[in-house]
Amino acid sequence: MKRSTLILLPVLLLTALESVHPQVAPAGRSSSYRVENIPTPEGLVPEAGGVAFLPDGRLVAVFHHGEVMFYDPRSKTWSVFATGLHDPLGVVAISDRELIVAQRPEITRLRDTDGNGRADSFETISDDFGMSGNYSEFTHGPVMDAEGSLYFSLNTASNNGPVRPIIRGAYSPAGRIGRMFSAVSYRGWIMKVTKDGRTIPWASGFRSPNGLTLDRDGNLFVTDNQGDWLGAGKLFHVRPQGFHGHPPSLAWDSTIHTIPLAIPVAVLERMKVKAAVQIPYSILANSPSQPLIDYTGGKFGPFDGQMFVGEMNQKVLMRVMLEEVNHQLQGAVVPFISGDPLRMGGNRLSFAPDGSLWVGHTDHGWAGDKGITRIVWTGEMPMDLHTMRLTSDGFDLTFTRPVDLRVAADPSTYTFSRYHYKDSIDYGSPQHGKARVEVLEARVSPGGNGVILKLAELREGYIYQLNMKGLLGADGTPLANTVAYYTINQLRQPGLAPPVATLER
Amino acid sequence: MKHCSTLVSLIGFLAAAVPLGAQATRVDTVEVFVQAIPGLKFDRVRFAIAASTPLRLVFRNVDEQADMDHNLVITRPGAREKIVQAALATTEAENFVPKLPDVLFFTPLLGQGGEFVLRFTSPAAAGAYPYVCTFPGHGFVMYGVMYVGMAMPPIAGDQGIPPTQRGGAAEGGGGPGRGGRPLRPPPPTMPAVSYATTYPAVVRTFLPESGPASIAVGFQGGHSYNFDAGGAYLRYAWTGGFVDNSRHWQGNGNAYADILGTIYYRNQVGFPFRVGSRESTERVEYLGYRLIEDGHPEFQYRVDGAEIRERIRPRAGGGLIRTFHIESSEPLRFLTDPGGGAGFHASTGRTNGGVLELTASQARSFTVTMIPRTGGNR
Repeated sequence: MKRSTLILLPVLLLTALESVHPQVAPAGRSSSYRVENIPTPEGLVPEAGGVAFLPDGRLVAVFHHGEVMFYDPRSKTWSVFATGLHDPLGVVAISDRELIVAQRPEITRLRDTDGNGRADSFETISDDFGMSGNYSEFTHGPVMDAEGSLYFSLNTASNNGPVRPIIRGAYSPAGRIGRMFSAVSYRGWIMKVTKDGRTIPWASGFRSPNGLTLDRDGNLFVTDNQGDWLGAGKLFHVRPQGFHGHPPSLAWDSTIHTIPLAIPVAVLERMKVKAAVQIPYSILANSPSQPLIDYTGGKFGPFDGQMFVGEMNQKVLMRVMLEEVNHQLQGAVVPFISGDPLRMGGNRLSFAPDGSLWVGHTDHGWAGDKGITRIVWTGEMPMDLHTMRLTSDGFDLTFTRPVDLRVAADPSTYTFSRYHYKDSIDYGSPQHGKARVEVLEARVSPGGNGVILKLAELREGYIYQLNMKGLLGADGTPLANTVAYYTINQLRQPGLAPPVATLER
Repeated sequence: MKHCSTLVSLIGFLAAAVPLGAQATRVDTVEVFVQAIPGLKFDRVRFAIAASTPLRLVFRNVDEQADMDHNLVITRPGAREKIVQAALATTEAENFVPKLPDVLFFTPLLGQGGEFVLRFTSPAAAGAYPYVCTFPGHGFVMYGVMYVGMAMPPIAGDQGIPPTQRGGAAEGGGGPGRGGRPLRPPPPTMPAVSYATTYPAVVRTFLPESGPASIAVGFQGGHSYNFDAGGAYLRYAWTGGFVDNSRHWQGNGNAYADILGTIYYRNQVGFPFRVGSRESTERVEYLGYRLIEDGHPEFQYRVDGAEIRERIRPRAGGGLIRTFHIESSEPLRFLTDPGGGAGFHASTGRTNGGVLELTASQARSFTVTMIPRTGGNR
């Protein structure tokens, strides 16, 4: 690996220079969204590992030091439901008295059986996975589908930490190899727990899958963090029994009979499920966390049905627009809001019944922040990119409000560059194959809020970065965010154009 | 106010070590110590030095808890964030140091316990020269500043250092004024147990000499035990306090919690039950716990067809009383470990060579009392 690194050095330097100017628009420009702090009790260290809402409208938040707390937004008061859990990193509310929590050693059902407001039953739903005692073996999730099945993800271990003298579960010397490794069972896997309690290894190839979500059709999504075998941050549409790129977890795949890291890269490339969306490292975000789909029916603004994704290291909340091309999901990621007063450490997301988005923040010994914030749509329509769709020769952009026709019809308003990341044993990846892509034509759609762009070239396997700094709304409002990153896994065939871009409201 | 005295002594040392002014005929090498400590921090986040002065910067990675790699990169004034961003596109082989003119001096990447002495002459131009760890992700929070030929601003408003270190401990590292002896990392500020913990307390954490799925249970009076959910059995018991999770919670969670007190019993047989005529256990399942009678946990587990509920409470006068309720169609044996530091006394059954033999009926409800032997087994 060192050899190739040296050869690539000039490229690395070039990309390094080019990537030092984050293209994220400053926040606060928009008066459409407001960020509120939710005060937490004195004495509580509010490193939030999970947030959800109870049927009665109260928030449940779980914290790094093991607390499970309820917050009543009406009375603005906190109460303690349970303490003493080990690094809980997710919560599902079943009822006002029953929760399912992911903590390091297990998935646990917490119940208040006597109605005194405190949990008294801690039933182990699943601990059918190994623990080496390595700090990085986090348990993320869970999420529950319509049938009552649960999904959770098991972080790999870090070679910055140990394998303890006493472990839980079987040990694999083959899985122990690697920067982030899987020395005990199912590290780097997503697990499914059926309603009748069976734990099934569901999908492999993950590194730090810090955040899961399900859409209404039961599609499971997970993010993963840049590092070894991940050239960039990724958002996956999880394929059941699929391998998603990070090899050490294959030590627990009964069909693999070799040391995972001995599998040639070309073979891994053929095996792996491609990310629906790649998240350019450091340019947009460093450590993507939980995705969540807006099913508020418009209470959170014009992005109903789209996905939001948290980020730990930067003050940015991302928005993802997915579409199906050749029966696979792919799409664009944009900074939704960024900069102050947004807080770092955005780790967990949940929509309140009123449609506000609650964010649990943590730093967990890393870059980040603490506490709970709430993001509220003020009711003012933002001037923003609403949808970005791939066409056979370019992109279809739809905006939340009509655009300035003169600026929008000028091809020079839009700048595209494309590049790709390589997944390898090295930590992260520089941008490869970076080039400008000429915009040949910009045509404003009849409604005045869409633009159809024709590009000189579209290539599979590349991220297309769009900058549209000068674009304005018809009333002169600048765009809230002027950058978008579209991952092209599949090209769209001519003649199969997407529906004409219109914004239903 | 403590930091004020540190600050004064630091400036005092520098003034003494670096003679300034017309009479100076010789410039001594200044020695500065900076350590990487848990929580993505430098212990020393700023220091002042005269211009064009030889410097011996001793950088140590004592991030023992996190066990992470770190470097120290000194940049031109105002270039820290740019270098941190540029470092993201570098590789480990390059020590994550971008090859840019804004990088003035740097150490290699050091693993835990590593030390590197950086010798250089401070720049001739006065200014605030940032230093930062450029390991990917670290540089956003792990940085400090070297003030060359200028006074340091008040620490509370120093934009060159992380907001979390603008308080008293920011300059609390070893180095000049402390005889050059590096100090231990600052004491943890984390609490010992969860917010609103009441006793009996049930705390899941990483405990020493145990599996990673351990459960610490503590009672008023400092009586505590460790039930390892990985194997579903009592591993050890201690008196004199509960656990202190603050080291575990500091940084990334790698450290064990500290046992407060003295362990008087250590299990030496592992999972103690055998069902029927089995010589060993085939399958042990941990099922969870209920809090009953004002928060006492009752553990539930299953072994080879037997369903077991176990409550463990402190015994007046020392030791533990373990109450078992077992549903089993077969007789059971309970293995004791006389060498573990406590004597065993059962309420029923027949004891045979350190093994308690129970019929299925006797196993339905019985107690085992454990009384510490004098001095424990430490």
